[in-house]
Parts: sequence; C-alpha cells; structure tokens
Amino acid sequence: MTLVFQSLRKVYGEVVAIDDVSTSFAPGMIHGVIGPNGAGKSTLINMTAGSYTVSSGSIALDGKRLDKLKKYQIANSGIARTYQNIRLFDQMTAIENLEVCFYPAEVAAAWREVIWPPYASAQRRRRREKCMEILRFFDLQSYADVDAGGLPYGRQRMLEIARALVTNPRVLLLDEPAAGLNHHETAELTAKLTALRSPERIMIVVEHDMDLVMTLCDSIVVMHHGKLLFRGTPAEVQASTDVQLAYLGTANDIDDIRAAAQDRRAQLGIRARRRS
Amino acid sequence: MAAADILAPARPRANRAISWLVFALVIALIAATPFLPNYHVRVLNSLLIYVLLGIGLNIVIGYTGLLDLGFVAFYAVGAYSYGLLASPQLGLHMPFLLILLVGACLGAVTGILLGIPVLRLRGDYLAIVTLGFGEIIRIIINNLDWLTGGPQGIARLDKASILGIQIARPIDFFWLLLITVLVVGTVVWRLERSILGKGWAAIREDQDAARGIGINTTNAKLAAFATSATIGSIAGVIFAASQRFVSPESFTLQESVLIVLMIVVGGIGNIFGIVAGAAILILLPELLREFAEWRILFLGLLMITLIIARPAGIVPRSFGPEKLIRGLFGK
Repeated sequence: MTLVFQSLRKVYGEVVAIDDVSTSFAPGMIHGVIGPNGAGKSTLINMTAGSYTVSSGSIALDGKRLDKLKKYQIANSGIARTYQNIRLFDQMTAIENLEVCFYPAEVAAAWREVIWPPYASAQRRRRREKCMEILRFFDLQSYADVDAGGLPYGRQRMLEIARALVTNPRVLLLDEPAAGLNHHETAELTAKLTALRSPERIMIVVEHDMDLVMTLCDSIVVMHHGKLLFRGTPAEVQASTDVQLAYLGTANDIDDIRAAAQDRRAQLGIRARRRS
Repeated sequence: MAAADILAPARPRANRAISWLVFALVIALIAATPFLPNYHVRVLNSLLIYVLLGIGLNIVIGYTGLLDLGFVAFYAVGAYSYGLLASPQLGLHMPFLLILLVGACLGAVTGILLGIPVLRLRGDYLAIVTLGFGEIIRIIINNLDWLTGGPQGIARLDKASILGIQIARPIDFFWLLLITVLVVGTVVWRLERSILGKGWAAIREDQDAARGIGINTTNAKLAAFATSATIGSIAGVIFAASQRFVSPESFTLQESVLIVLMIVVGGIGNIFGIVAGAAILILLPELLREFAEWRILFLGLLMITLIIARPAGIVPRSFGPEKLIRGLFGK
C-alpha cells in the first residue's frame, strides 16, 4: 500500500529533468526530498500531482496508475498538494478556500441546494463546521472570514496546507512549506506537520531548510541532476560523505567543505590562489 | 470615501437602515408603475430585460471569471425562437410558455456548443473568440433570408398569452419581467452560494489550483456557459414577445459591450450591482433625452467619474441579497 515510482522520466526537449527514478513511499511516514536547485524535486511533485505530464515510466498509488489521469482525477484519487509559490483563491475567504474542496463530492447535488433552502443551509453549516475544525488545528479560526489574499504570508502557508487536508487525502505533497517563514513560524510548522503524521497517510516534503527536514522526516530521498542519488534515514543522509560534500553544503563543519573543495581542485590540477 | 461607508455598512444598524431604504424605494417604484404613462413603463421593461441579461452574463464574467463578449448571441437565439415559433413566418403559432421552454433549452445547447471550443482559452483570447461567435450568429441570421427574413427581420409576431391571460400592454410585460427577474435572480443567487458557485469562484481565482483540489473545470465551465446562455435566451423570448418584431439590428456587438459595461459599472459578481449598473446605463440616457446630443457627453463624464471614484463598481461586493435580508429581518 504505497506510492510507487517506476523508471520515471521527464524530458523537456533535450533536457532531462527526471532521469529514471524508481522508488516508493510508504504510509505512516514523512518523506523528505532534498537536493540542490534544479535537481528535479519540484518536478517530481508536479508529476505526481498531475501538473506535469510524465515522459515515460509510471506512478501508482496502491497499484492504481495515476500518470494517465487528468489533474483533477489525480486529486480525487486522494492526492493533495501545496505549491512552492502559494496558490490560494485570493478573493475568497479563508474558510471558503477550504469549503470549496467539497466540490468533487457534492457538486452533483448542487441543484438540491438551489431548490431546497433547508438542505442548502444544512450543507453550508456542515461544511463550515468541518472546515472550522481544520482552521482551528492551524490556529487560523480568527481569520476564517478574511480574504485569503489579505492574510499575512505565514498564515497563507498554513492555510494552503489546511486546504490540502480538507478531503483527508492519502498522499500529502508539500512543496517547500517553510519557504519564507521565520524561525518561529518554521517551528510551528514542524509541530503541525508532525501532528499530521498518521498510519494511513503518505507525506512527502520537498524542502531546502535542512534543520526542518532532519527533525521532521523519517526517510530522505536525495536528488541530483534528475537522478535519485541516495536514500536513507536523516542520520544516514547526514553521515553520507557523498551527500555532505556535494549537496548539503552547510554540512557539519565548514572546514570539511574547504578541505573537500581543495581536494577537488588538486585533482583538477588547479591551485587555489593564495591571499596575500 | 463617505459613499463607500454608506454603501458598505459595517454596523448592523446602518445595514438595517440601508436595507429598508432600498426595499422601500423598490416597492414604491413597483407600486407606482401601473400609474405611469406607457412610455415610462416601456423604459422600465427595457431596464428589466437588461437586468435579466446582466444576471445571465454575470455568471460567466463575475462568478467564473471568463470574459465573454458574445453574450448577445444567446439573446438572439431566444428572440428568434419566439420569432419563428409564433409568427406567420413558418406558420407556427406555439404558446408563449412552450416557446419559453424551447428557447431556454436552445440557449443551453448553444451555450455548451460555444463553451466546448473555448474551454482552453482565457482572458483576451477568450474575449476575441466569443466576440467572433456573437458576430457569427448575427451574420447567419442576417443572411439566412428564407428562414429569418434576413435584415428585414420577422414582423407580426403573435401576441403572447399565459394560461389564457393575454400579455400585450407594457404593464403586462412589466409584471412578467418583474416575476422573471425575481425568480431567475433568486435561482442564480442560490447557485452562487451553492458548492457549484464556490467551484466557479475557485476557477476564477486560480484555474490550475482549482483542478488541484479535484474540480473538473471542463464541466464546471460548461455548466456556467449553459446557465448563462439559458438566461440570455429567456430574456430574448420575452423581448421578442414584447416588441412583436425581431431583426438582426437588435443583436449587435454594441449590446454585448453594453451588458458587460453594466456589470463592471455596477460591481462585478453582485446581483444588486447589475441592477445599479443597468439603472445608470439604461435609465440615464432616457432621462437625459431632452439634452439630445449632450447626453452622450454626460454619460461619458459620469463613467469617468465612476471609474475613478469606485473602480470596483457602485455596489460593494459585500452588499448582496444576504445582507439585505439580514438588514430587513434582523438577526
């Protein structure tokens, strides 16, 4: 019962963005996807959610192929996502942003809402209560009737995650949820995401904030140039010299990086210019 | 912005005052209408027809965010439904209510037929294609002489009657139009508040994100086009019945633009805004008739003033039917 990528490829003209990635994501865990800019992390998320087409290979959830479905069908198969650049429905209130997620399940009965007022108000009340509960979880209840576009940036990030959760999705894809957040907000985000871990849910987080990834994730996938470079627990990723040298950059010790860089220059026959 | 504060009452008390004021004015106008001369009643009828058209077009432009410049095509479909089914032209004399039903269905079908090819288009491209569609319908009507009478149009349409009651005088049409506007307005308002309406709003805000939460944008947009076209067509049937004459001249691009303008001036996405927009753009030119050619200048100046003073429309988005009802009946 997992999300499985099989020989996945994404090609733009001659550029290979995702190169033969095969891996799987198990439920009950938070999976991190890291790697330098252009490694293909976001492409992976976008293909899973159906925002990008798949060039070859397959994506399947619980054995059901997703890659041939339309984007809205993928969403209705239990996959929800957030975006690297926040994409809320700006001129709708915070709670409306959540309520609209009931559309796929309830639009067929919309005509009843039109002709039978008691049914309509019951539906509205039920939707509002359910969404209010989610807003409360994210401490957003006081913003319920404020236009989403007018919320502070950090609240918008939270609201986007809240929107992704309304339908209780099997798979939650988070594309850089901590981007632009301050320390306090990132800590809050970590707490919320940890609380969202559930035995049935597959959570995948693409993130640049290494502290967040290392504290939050149970398993980490390291991408580089469209390939899957390394996979392991946070400790294994941190211990891996490959990853440390090439991708984490900050690593544990800046001296290690300097030494590694010097080694590389020596290999290439270039001498570091000495400062006078 | 004192005007804005009055129009967007934040406190319940102010809202109550405004709501009763609006309500009283409308009731007074309706009560006075039977005593007005025919000419004035005709102007009010024309106002109500434009309100109906505005309500229809607003579904596509205001709720779903798709700029449709060919709306007049559906108006024409309705009008010619009456023209062909209740005149000596084809020798058919169907009853008014049946034609209303046929016209509404034809409108819906035309709406979907237009909707399918423009599903992928947005913004300027959509506007151009729908504009073209409106012109195509008009030009077809203009050239299909054997069926539509071409530029001469169709004259001597039947007098309308509903269940044996003849609808002939302007005041009869006033009541018919008033009831239609109230019914259609209520249905559309309830649609907007339904989950389908929320879906339309999501498409307006961010189509791709709307797909991301599982909205089948194709179906939602087609539903918007079909509903909107149905209303346009209903307006057309009543229009033809009241004029007892149809010709392609009534369905030019200018009409489409006028309806869009009404919506924008009144306040996009708000039913009350449409009434306000129609009042300004339909009533004012009539009231200023004695100033002859000066009235266009007046109207132009008024538009400029409005666009500077209230770029989001005269009626604020927050002052909708819900707020009026709350203002009238408390809570």
